[in-house]
Amino acid sequence: MTAPLLDVRDLVVRYGSVTAVDGVSFALEAGETLALDGPSGCGKSTTALTVLQLRRPDAGEVRFEGRELTTLTERELRPLRPRMQPVFQDPYGSLNPRHRIRDAVAEPLKVQGRWTDADGPARVAALLDRVGLDPSYGDRRPHELSGGQCQRAGIARALASEPRLLVLDEPVSALDPSVRAGVLNLLADLQDDLGLGYLFICHDRAVVRHFADRVVRMRDGRISPSSPPR
Amino acid sequence: MRLPARRRWPGAAGTTRSLSLLAVVAAVGLLPWLSGRDPALSVLRARSAEQEPTREALDAIRRDLGLDAGPLSLLGGWAAGLVRGDLGISWVSGTDVGPSVLAGLQVSLALMGAAFGVAVLLGVALVAPVLVRGRASAGAGAAMLAAVPEFLLATVGLLVCGVWLGWLPTSGWDGPSSMVLPAVALGVPAGGLLGRLVADALPAVLEERWVELWRGAGVSRARVSAAALRRVLPPLVPQFGMAAVGLTGGAVAVETVFAVPGIGRTALGAAKSQDLPLLQGAVLALLLLGLVTGALSALVRRRLLGPALRDASLSLPPPLPVRVHPAIPLTLAALLATAIGWGLLRDPYAVNTAVRLTPPSWAHPLGTDGLGRDVLARLGHGAASTVGTAAAVCLLSLVLSLALGFLPGVAAGAADIANALPPVIVGILVAAVAGPGTGGAAFAVALISWPPLAAHAAALVQEVRASGFLTAQRAIGAPPSWILTRHVLPTVAAPVARHALLRLPGIALALASLGFLGLGAQPPAPEWGLLLDESRAYVERAPWAALSPAIALALLAGLAVSGAAYAQGVARTPGKEAPVGV
Repeated sequence: MTAPLLDVRDLVVRYGSVTAVDGVSFALEAGETLALDGPSGCGKSTTALTVLQLRRPDAGEVRFEGRELTTLTERELRPLRPRMQPVFQDPYGSLNPRHRIRDAVAEPLKVQGRWTDADGPARVAALLDRVGLDPSYGDRRPHELSGGQCQRAGIARALASEPRLLVLDEPVSALDPSVRAGVLNLLADLQDDLGLGYLFICHDRAVVRHFADRVVRMRDGRISPSSPPR
Repeated sequence: MRLPARRRWPGAAGTTRSLSLLAVVAAVGLLPWLSGRDPALSVLRARSAEQEPTREALDAIRRDLGLDAGPLSLLGGWAAGLVRGDLGISWVSGTDVGPSVLAGLQVSLALMGAAFGVAVLLGVALVAPVLVRGRASAGAGAAMLAAVPEFLLATVGLLVCGVWLGWLPTSGWDGPSSMVLPAVALGVPAGGLLGRLVADALPAVLEERWVELWRGAGVSRARVSAAALRRVLPPLVPQFGMAAVGLTGGAVAVETVFAVPGIGRTALGAAKSQDLPLLQGAVLALLLLGLVTGALSALVRRRLLGPALRDASLSLPPPLPVRVHPAIPLTLAALLATAIGWGLLRDPYAVNTAVRLTPPSWAHPLGTDGLGRDVLARLGHGAASTVGTAAAVCLLSLVLSLALGFLPGVAAGAADIANALPPVIVGILVAAVAGPGTGGAAFAVALISWPPLAAHAAALVQEVRASGFLTAQRAIGAPPSWILTRHVLPTVAAPVARHALLRLPGIALALASLGFLGLGAQPPAPEWGLLLDESRAYVERAPWAALSPAIALALLAGLAVSGAAYAQGVARTPGKEAPVGV
């Protein structure tokens, strides 16, 4: 049996004297959606940041594609980062207000050395098309788009890194109810087509029930024993 | 999802504050060693005009002064004397430094006390209409008064009240009547600043909910006003403290103009004659005065706030935006540009003794000076060099503040010290080390003009660092250099650069004040402060020669204020960058 896509064991994160995450363990297979549910302040978002190694844990293991990440240096981690991408709650704040959407989506290609002037623009256009944005939106800046459109642009930027895992931190909480379904459907389609694993942070029970394959419930930094069995 | 706010290193500010203070005191102590010019030569000249500056004579003086012992023992000896209360012996007069510093300090304290009284009276006069009439702001006029440099006010006061009207004595220090003009010149800018701070803050406070409630409950207008003042003052007290520190710098100029034997004039005279022990004592006294004032203002603030509100937990509401019509700064800039452009076409150095001190005419639109040089030409060429130097200083402090913006904890401590040093005092120290000159003056102003820019940069850096898009950059594997050059610097540099540009007139004024005191550009260079200083000698016969640079400097002050206010108004409109701190 192959290793799971993501395997988190006994994760501990402290902010000063406060233990935000206290011994959290879970695993996630490719093509699967694991929801992390719980009240605000329970440590879900900290867990998400720590899985992405944007914050280093104080103890515990984070294995991604069978590789232990917590012992790697920032420099060793950099080539692995593209394979796990975040999508944030605030659609506007996650894009640089000074950059055009086109440049934001092209940035991962440039940073990761996969940009060529010959086919780069076409790839950006294809990515925008893939998330349901007309490529003409590439000329706009974030404040000229709606929240839903911005979130789609953020997803396009995440896809540009060709990830295996998306960490979705409340991806639809800041959106109008009318556009939530569209973004959730887009995420479901992408998972079917690309076989992505989703770590889905959410506190909306209805969305969780509809969208997730499995739910882990957190409370006060721990996995709550009342996590519903499958 | 946000990154946790970067933990501030709490000790950093305190450490750099103490280190910066120590560095300043050590620089004062090491003045004789730092001095680029040979102090032995100046001491020899001062002691006897006839003696030849032979090697033996100079060596004897060096041994006598302890200059040959090296910097460490020099500093040690000075510090040890300081602890015993011994400030050394004047190189020029051969008397003890201590008593002359004390005598100067007494005079200066009396002058500053009187100036403080003038400032409070003026402040009350500026604030009263806001309280009486309600929501109008008196900010613009007060800001204008606050921007007029003391040396300009002193010169104009001397010219009008002393020379033309002959009401008041114009020099010396005997009796209350000789105190009036210096106190007014020193107190008016400070009063303008006090009045502006309170008058700007009051309208927003009067719109707070509690005011409505109190009025609805029938509380008298006077009691509401008193409570509003009580609400406004504590957060402003630190800035009042800084205004008081500014008085020590202003005192140098004012005492020089009116020949008041105070500590500021003592310091300036000692710097010019290279009497370094006297300079050390005087500068130390001025620094001490500034530090004591700062500590006093902290104490007053604590008394006003009470024990519960130790920290900055009581902040003022953002002031209501004051709309400045863009025509005002544009008109001032156009007036200045016309005069400068016209003057640039003429020759500022052509001496023609046949037309000395002529009144304005077609051949010389602003008249001529004591050597028959064209005042308009000197004004135009002076502006070019002053503005050029000011631009270089701006650029230097911009680069410095961008670098320091990334180390807010470290920068804050150094900024406290830089804020406590008036440009004139730094100018005196730099001139004592390097000799007076344009470069030294620019360096002195650059040393202390960066803190507001650095604070602005630090705020922006913190904002960018907390943003989601920067986290996303790390997630795609972007190296720090990419994040810095593509995201952080472009976001921070543009607003800070605009802010630096707005400070240009203020920096030019600081340079002019150093020029006026003879610490900046040297004759025959046509620097504005120097022009004003030179014209003082014949102000009775040719007042226009003094009035032209004075008016030009006043226009520059107006430009500094209205430009900054306009930018502030623009910055506060929604959808633009963070407000510009002024």
